[in-house]
Amino acid sequence: MKKPIIFILFTFIIVNFVFAQQPTAEEIVSKVNDLMNQKTVYGKMKMTIVTTSGKTRTFEYDSWSKGNGEKNLIRYTKPARVKGQAILMLNNADDIWAYFPRTKRVRKLATHAKKQKMQGSDFSYADMGSGDSFINDYSAKIIKEEKKEKYDCFKLELIRKKDIDSPYSKMIIWVIKENYVPVVIDYYDEKNPDRLLKTLVQYDIQVIDGVPTGKKMVMYNKQDNTETSMEMIEVKYNEELRDDMFTERGLKK
Amino acid sequence: MKKLIIILILCFFSAVSWSQEIEIFGYFESQLMGANINNEFMQLASNKLRVDMQLQASGNVSFGANFDYITYHGKTKWNILEFLPESVTAEAPTLNYLGYEINPYILPYENRNFLDNAFVKLSFKFADFTVGKQQLSMGTGYVWNPTDVFNKKDVIDPTYEQPGHNAVRVDLPIKNDFGLTAIYAPTEDWKNTDVLLKLKGHLLHFDFSLLAIQKNWSFTDSRIFDPIGLDFFKVNTKRQILGADFAGELFGVGVWGEYTYNEVKTKENEKIKYDEAFSVLGLMSQYPYQPMNVPQEYYELVLGMDYTFDFQTYIMCEFYRNTSAKQDHQKYNFNNWMHYFLAEKKSIAQDQVYFFVQHPLTDLINIGSSYIFSISDNSSAIIPMLTYNVFENVDLSVFGNIYLGKEKTAYASNLGNGGMARMRVYF
Repeated sequence: MKKPIIFILFTFIIVNFVFAQQPTAEEIVSKVNDLMNQKTVYGKMKMTIVTTSGKTRTFEYDSWSKGNGEKNLIRYTKPARVKGQAILMLNNADDIWAYFPRTKRVRKLATHAKKQKMQGSDFSYADMGSGDSFINDYSAKIIKEEKKEKYDCFKLELIRKKDIDSPYSKMIIWVIKENYVPVVIDYYDEKNPDRLLKTLVQYDIQVIDGVPTGKKMVMYNKQDNTETSMEMIEVKYNEELRDDMFTERGLKK
Repeated sequence: MKKLIIILILCFFSAVSWSQEIEIFGYFESQLMGANINNEFMQLASNKLRVDMQLQASGNVSFGANFDYITYHGKTKWNILEFLPESVTAEAPTLNYLGYEINPYILPYENRNFLDNAFVKLSFKFADFTVGKQQLSMGTGYVWNPTDVFNKKDVIDPTYEQPGHNAVRVDLPIKNDFGLTAIYAPTEDWKNTDVLLKLKGHLLHFDFSLLAIQKNWSFTDSRIFDPIGLDFFKVNTKRQILGADFAGELFGVGVWGEYTYNEVKTKENEKIKYDEAFSVLGLMSQYPYQPMNVPQEYYELVLGMDYTFDFQTYIMCEFYRNTSAKQDHQKYNFNNWMHYFLAEKKSIAQDQVYFFVQHPLTDLINIGSSYIFSISDNSSAIIPMLTYNVFENVDLSVFGNIYLGKEKTAYASNLGNGGMARMRVYF
């Protein structure tokens, strides 16, 4: 009689222990969100687009982010064709301004502009500065645990919440258990949650200023068979950035 | 001699660049334009070299300048009268005071080299001061900007860069969401200096501005030609403007607008001078000339909206009303056309709508088209376009312009159907 009780108790304790260790989907997404949206980030990036015809186009830009991803500024430095063009995104990209140095004009863009490709790349502006979108716009659930890109990962499904205007209906994310880096993200069509649009893979994950960082990421466009890689030439986390950088005045500098 | 000056300037740029951390960049642009005029296809080619320099002299001081060198080839003299209906050009006198035949309506494209911009910017925590020849762009509209009294956009290519204007500009930020801009553009007499005050802000995802502008404005009577001064007679006025603009989003659609209320004041002595000049015009010919009508007050309004679909197609629509322009195309006269060509008025027809659609055909090629419809006279124009990023720093743009309107209308087919190809190499 005692043995079954002990067995049940033991099983209960083990199960409880395992589940106590296992974070919930919301906790995982929250940690991913915290990792992706540091207090401040400065990055010098190199973006290489491989087109359908196999041609490559290379861009370099500086980016600054503040307020855990709430404010973002991107300024192109190369090539000469786009040098000086800048994008300012505030309120988690609900407010967007573009600056064109040749005409010295600042244009306020509506949020639909986030759908546009960034310089013809496979990254949209929504992919670059959506702040807390993972938490606010999507409901998460753990599908399973599996190995992905050689890492032990949580596989999560993020479904867009009702009445949210986000460019993807669904995302499947593989999050590395050890450091919560979303090593692979599958993005699904806005209207058709079965249609895979593109896949983001992070490579060469290093710890920089205490933050695990993919030094290179590649977006594979599954519909057009194109790809865009983004390499971090330089990155600095949590350094002081002035608020006036993220204004129209800062945009035009 | 000019070539020597350019070489010296370029040598100077290089020397300065060597000694300080000055950035030199710019582009070379080769362009071929063609138009069908009276069943003949005429061509005008141009080559433009733009050299920009930029120097961050210290944390607070920066300097910017650009030098343009442009050559024209092909049909470099365009007779404005060939584009207009005979009933309109009948007003244009072709005899001078002495009875000799004249044609001052030839628009020449002459080789030019000039300093387009040259300014110093002083940046402080509380304000930015920009002094010198600089680009001044106002307004939220894409094709039409009533609040931009410094520039006039080309409806075929509205995003082309605008020239520099000599001014002192002060930008005063008020917290992060508001700011004040003051522009002082000196003229010959300080009492007539052009001034602009703009208060801008950001509220509830909307940008808005309130403006007050005073600008000297000339209205040309292109029928009165001074053979000694080689210029048309101008009535000098003072244009006072109260305006506003906004840009934001409603139900996911981008929206913007601009409004200006314009009051045009003409001094009594200007009126007397004009009456005298006009009376001479009447003596020269049997034509029943009517004096030029200088508007006293009018308003301009722009309303626009845009949207990007999931499949990357971008659409835009903009409405423009200018109550100083006319609603009945039968009443467009020679001066109305000339005011439009000389950028003294932004349109000849009172109400117009502009539609634009663009789609990325591939990663490197965008195709699109504009369609302009003049509500006032039922005329329209289609402007198909293609842009191709041929190599890393090389862009090719091709535009067509097909006018569909009847004779005498704003977009009449006799304005010259044709197109333009432009290759631009950036460095």
